[in-house]
Amino acid sequence: MKSLNENDRATMNSLCRISCCCLSFIAVLAALSPLRAEEPTAEQLTFFEQKIRPVLAEHCYKCHSTRSKKLKAELYLDSREGLLKGGETGPVVVPGKPEASLLVRAVVYLDNELEMPPNKKLPDKVIADLQEWIRIGAPWPEEKPTQNAEQAVEGRDWKKLRLESWAFRPVNKPTPPETKHQELVHNPIDQFVLGKIEKRGLEPLGKAGKRVLLRRIHLDLTGLPPTPAEMKTFLGDQRKDALDHVIDSLLKSSHYGERWARHWLDTARYSDGLGGFGDNGPLPGAWRYRDWVVDCFNRDLPYDQFVKQQIAGDLYTEDPLAFYGTGFFAIGPNYKSDGGDPEAKAQAEAETLADRIDTFSRAFLGLTVQCARCHDHKFDPIPQKDYYSIAGVFRNSRTHKRSAASAEMTKKYNDHQKAIKELEKQIKSLNEEKKKAPENTADNPDLPKLQQELNKLKKTMPPKPGGEVHVLADSGNKDMHVAIRGDLRKKGEVAPRQFLTIMTGGNGPVFKQGSGRKELAEAVFEAGKPLAARVMINRIWQYHFGHGLVRTPSNFGSLGEKPSHPQLLDWLSAAFEESGWSIKKMHRLILSSATYQRSSRFHQANFDKDGDNRLLWRMSPRRMEIEVWRDSLLAVTGELDRKIGGQPTDKIFDVKRRTLYTTISRNGDRFASDEFLRLFDFPSPASTAPKRATSTVPQQYLFMLNSPFMIARARVFSERLQKEEKDDPARITQAYALLYGRQPTEEETRIGLAFLAEKAEKIPRLQQYTQVLLSSHEFIQVR
Amino acid sequence: MNLGGDPRAPLSRRESLRRIGAGFGSLGLAGVLADPALFASGKEHGQQAVSPLAPKAPHFAPKAKHVIQLFMPGGPSQVDTFDHKPDIAKHAGKRPSLVNRKSLRNTKNGLMVSPFGFKRYGECGKMVSDIFPNVGELVDDLCFIHSCHTDIPEHAGAILMMTLGALQANRPSMGSWLTYGLGTENQDLPGFVAMSPRAQPRGKLANWGSSFLPGAHAGTYVNIASMKPDTVMRNLSNPHLPRLEQRNQADLLSRLNKLHLDRLEKDSHLEAGIEAMELAFRMQFAVPDVFDVSRETKETRALYGDSEYAKGCLIARRLIERGVRCVQLSHSIDGYDIAWDTGHGDIKGGHARLAKACDQGIAALIKDLKWRGLLDETLVVWGGEFGRAPTSEGKKGRDHDHYGFTMFMAGGGVKPGFSYGATDNFGLTAVENRVHVHDLHATILHLMGLDHKKLTYRYSGRDYRLTDVHGKVIHDIIA
Repeated sequence: MKSLNENDRATMNSLCRISCCCLSFIAVLAALSPLRAEEPTAEQLTFFEQKIRPVLAEHCYKCHSTRSKKLKAELYLDSREGLLKGGETGPVVVPGKPEASLLVRAVVYLDNELEMPPNKKLPDKVIADLQEWIRIGAPWPEEKPTQNAEQAVEGRDWKKLRLESWAFRPVNKPTPPETKHQELVHNPIDQFVLGKIEKRGLEPLGKAGKRVLLRRIHLDLTGLPPTPAEMKTFLGDQRKDALDHVIDSLLKSSHYGERWARHWLDTARYSDGLGGFGDNGPLPGAWRYRDWVVDCFNRDLPYDQFVKQQIAGDLYTEDPLAFYGTGFFAIGPNYKSDGGDPEAKAQAEAETLADRIDTFSRAFLGLTVQCARCHDHKFDPIPQKDYYSIAGVFRNSRTHKRSAASAEMTKKYNDHQKAIKELEKQIKSLNEEKKKAPENTADNPDLPKLQQELNKLKKTMPPKPGGEVHVLADSGNKDMHVAIRGDLRKKGEVAPRQFLTIMTGGNGPVFKQGSGRKELAEAVFEAGKPLAARVMINRIWQYHFGHGLVRTPSNFGSLGEKPSHPQLLDWLSAAFEESGWSIKKMHRLILSSATYQRSSRFHQANFDKDGDNRLLWRMSPRRMEIEVWRDSLLAVTGELDRKIGGQPTDKIFDVKRRTLYTTISRNGDRFASDEFLRLFDFPSPASTAPKRATSTVPQQYLFMLNSPFMIARARVFSERLQKEEKDDPARITQAYALLYGRQPTEEETRIGLAFLAEKAEKIPRLQQYTQVLLSSHEFIQVR
Repeated sequence: MNLGGDPRAPLSRRESLRRIGAGFGSLGLAGVLADPALFASGKEHGQQAVSPLAPKAPHFAPKAKHVIQLFMPGGPSQVDTFDHKPDIAKHAGKRPSLVNRKSLRNTKNGLMVSPFGFKRYGECGKMVSDIFPNVGELVDDLCFIHSCHTDIPEHAGAILMMTLGALQANRPSMGSWLTYGLGTENQDLPGFVAMSPRAQPRGKLANWGSSFLPGAHAGTYVNIASMKPDTVMRNLSNPHLPRLEQRNQADLLSRLNKLHLDRLEKDSHLEAGIEAMELAFRMQFAVPDVFDVSRETKETRALYGDSEYAKGCLIARRLIERGVRCVQLSHSIDGYDIAWDTGHGDIKGGHARLAKACDQGIAALIKDLKWRGLLDETLVVWGGEFGRAPTSEGKKGRDHDHYGFTMFMAGGGVKPGFSYGATDNFGLTAVENRVHVHDLHATILHLMGLDHKKLTYRYSGRDYRLTDVHGKVIHDIIA
């Protein structure tokens, strides 16, 4: 092996240097294949995958594989069995004996009758590889686990594959099971959850206390803690449906949209541009897409429309601002090459397309279609051709800047302007009449009325439509070729634009209108509906509970995790569609369940059985996201600027707006704010982020102990306490109410008073104390 | 403790330096906790809090424990530095078929003789350009690889290929893979430090970022030119609070957090947080110390010289001496993010200045490591993202060459006084024992005791590794 590998980098480099993703493929195969006498080594398999399979695929499969349109010589070269069995002229490979193998005779053009491939002799290096491969026994990975994915596109039983997978099969609405703990059932969600808890012999916890619950719901829906006054009102509200009232009013708050838009922006890999070299331009209008998302959540735009407008809003003209939605794709990276080298250019375009396909398929469908960029997906039934069917849609869509104003907005503004001018004209002429008239003439009675009207018009003036928004537009109507091994310069067969074969069975419509984006958008909620529904329900669940029912929220394929509660997932998905895809209705349903309202208490026996809380025997305590933490800090000190929407700022240590309005650079390296956000696990916007990590590193505590931002918050908070409360015990009590929504214990008061009694050199003791309270785990934790 | 002691001080000094960290580190190993969800079998709040930076066992016995990457972004020319090609002179101005390759960018001209003289050095008799006299003196400690090649002749992509093994900035850097695989030996310091004087290398953060690996593995960047020891890391000190008062404050925070923990009964995030806070408190003192080169002796400082790059070299030694796993020191002068790209217009002026700014520092680092007994366990890797063509661009310059270029290594288990692979007679294309950047990465991981095929991370549905599906260990350069 060694001598061979050594010399062939050059050839290999040009042949197979495509970023690819079959690492775990080999590992899985090795793990799964039964031990054979001549088990190929990992090195041999790598050799096969890198040097042999690509050659066979490129030069032989057109005529000799299960996917050949017209099989020639009855010969299959896409399996070891095929090679050993051979075709019309007998076996083509004799393992260990290259000289006796027909395949070698054919490729070295030894025999006039048998020169393969027919059009051109393979390079000597490649022939040497083939010989070496046969010499070492023609190692071929055991392909059972990926049989489905390896079969010919046309030959696969798509319907069977679709029905076999929990993710692809149609959603039905299961009947909730009967449960013992009737007192813990608010709605069917609880029946599904309790069913499992009871079956496993766990003890479901009861409802969380009112204080904990109110803080949980406020932070969950708006990202801001309840004020002491809100807490007091809620504690005093004895109505049975007190909590429902809270939920309703929070869902009506514009802060709800800000909070939930941010979740979606993780999925949308939202940034204000400013990426690295090759993708370094700013996206000065990206924030308009962000505000559009906030608005969509606030007005509860049905989820199907929300998705369709992000794929093809420019083509759904009934909603005048729907085109903003296509920012979802337009704000993605647009890689350029810096020298115009053809290979680099092709790479850059391929990479940009890969972003679109990856974001589209993971965000909306929970599928890693990007893995089919260079070859058929190794684990899921996604042929490479499907990748280029979707890629074709985006290759015919260009990114551009469009005036942020809709025709309607412009007309409204112009009409308004016209009305003002008309009035001014009238007033002017009346005034002139007045001047000309003799001095004693009475004022025209219309004049004050007109003046009043003018003032009113001026006050209600709509904002001047202006600025730009990044959007998609159609730029062509051409199918793409499959790019052989992902290299756009090497064209394979044509891949007509259409939806994923696994969902359509290959019988879906071929996209014909323009780029095909609108047809693609429709397909997501037709053939793709089971995935679209399950994926979004799972995301909503994840943001309410910290974990999804499927813990790989953007991978519902065979390498993703299976749902912990498949029936619940389906029941909710069905309910989601029945609700007219209303996200707010899903919030109400989930938040009113006993499952959501459960205590987060620790319980040793349950913990021993299910430490991971997969069964939802309690509410998992969580750390706030960085946005919620910073916003909450500003809220409790009384500094938060609650203005909704508008231009981003990178001065978030000075500006008091919500963290949503921070400028975000794509690589997280432009601003001090980037660094701050990343320190607390803000996801990289380089690609769609399914969920966030929660890391604990010392630099976070350096921020809490030493950053000017924290020192300033502590100062403002201590000044507030100083002003509002008369003595230290009262200040401690008020601080606990503001920060944690509870009374301090006696011990905590005692500790606090002792600390405050000490002398301080520069920073007053109260400020040192408030900094500690603001940095505490209890403040950053949601229970 | 005298931290700037005799450069020939025995090993025990280094051990004691590490122990300063380890003293707390052994308590604080658990001080950093990644999301339990990131651990395959992690329990939500039950598992033992294990620091992602705690030292981890390698896959097999390592040759080296630390890596110092002396990165030369912009592309130093091989035929003007370490790949001596006398045949160029015989065909100067001509364009023999060997160098007549199509997709080279602007090199339609003929071969150009190096403007620099070459001299024979050391017992191995290596020919080295006159612009690297100090490095030349050390050739018997160096292992040259003349047959490197990479994917594209463009800076941005090729730089990323060298620092993170892919053409786009969406993968973890090599240093972050190393701390992911091995942790680090001093828990009071970052495990991976990236430095440069002036400009950050093109691609910036991505070159030391952790991408999808947990954030704890991201490199900490330090700008040598603007550095003051106490402002190396953001928020490292609170200038308004005396140390004792801050200790008081930190104690209060720990105490209140512990009360909260008692109420919760169990919460591994909080347990980790309490320790991380203690670690943060210690870092405030450990970090400024390591970056303070004024603590070195006059002799040591003289050995390195005055250049900014040399200061980086000296800090690199102080870092790995204290157990930091990986240091990436990129070259830059005049605030240029691809410093060695000055070769387009004028190889002579551009390269001579750049070499002068780093030659002494690099040689000093290797000598100093050797004196201190650290070279055996430290792998030093020198090189750019690609080389430059032997043909000329304009009259005096050279354009990018990704078909072949030279790198050298020292220490860390590679053969000293050894040269591996070769370019063609004119130095354009690697023809003998070709070494792709993926192979370099595979070899570096191997020397560190890691199998590049086994060091994987599951992300967005598949297993990733530094070498993607490529890479082959170059066993022939390993001692």
